[in-house]
Amino acid sequence: MDATTLPLPIIKLEQLGDPTAAACEGDFCAIPEHHQQAVVNRKLDEDAV
Amino acid sequence: MSEPIKVDIWSDVQCPWCYIGKRKFEAGAAEFGGDVEIEYHSFELAPDTPVDFDGTPMDYLAERKGIAPAQAQEMLARVTGIAKSVGLDYDYDHVHQTNTVISHELIHFAKSKGRQIEMKERLLKAYFVNGEHVGRIPDLVEIAVELGYDRDEVTEVLESHRFLADVKADVALAQEYGIQGVPFFVIDGKYGVSGAQEAATFANVLAQVQSEREAV
Repeated sequence: MDATTLPLPIIKLEQLGDPTAAACEGDFCAIPEHHQQAVVNRKLDEDAV
Repeated sequence: MSEPIKVDIWSDVQCPWCYIGKRKFEAGAAEFGGDVEIEYHSFELAPDTPVDFDGTPMDYLAERKGIAPAQAQEMLARVTGIAKSVGLDYDYDHVHQTNTVISHELIHFAKSKGRQIEMKERLLKAYFVNGEHVGRIPDLVEIAVELGYDRDEVTEVLESHRFLADVKADVALAQEYGIQGVPFFVIDGKYGVSGAQEAATFANVLAQVQSEREAV
């Protein structure tokens, strides 16, 4: 394996925050369940006002 | 006076969570209240997408994921609702699905002028809110000119792809960090925060970094 085909080293990061937070990976953007629920909650709140 | 906390953000122009995450991070940074220095980095979610993709985002999603158009439409509607909750009016009926590499080149050009964040915001708005095309050079030049850049200079920069190497360097650095999805926030070079977190999460992480610095 020459230098150009060696895998890049991974720089270690300490992960913080909610690991299920919404993100886009590849050509797909996930929609976590709790976000759907948040939208439902917001709609309920708006209707209640 | 202490150094600002450096936040490196990997993001793509056509990533709905990146714009939502940007708003949430901004709210979190405001809640934190300390000095924060932000630098955006390029990430291409779908580098194989043609500049003139023949179809809507719904078509794209349905085609790529092998799902029914109605299901894709429902997913986009949900994202639109979440964007609305942070004050962003996504208009998927007029979004132009495209290849974003040249828009990243434009962001790097703006960075060379000390105006990166302004351009990043303008391109996200162009794509998600204004229905502007962010893959073609003439369209990107118009956006840059609107922001006060010199038409000839921007045209030359984009046509020569002078900043393409910088885009690819950002993508390579993302690989080194093991970043698979965006938005991704690297805070002070040691903490990784993935996705469109709540504003309070960002505020807490920034406060943690600040307190660690003060403890040294």
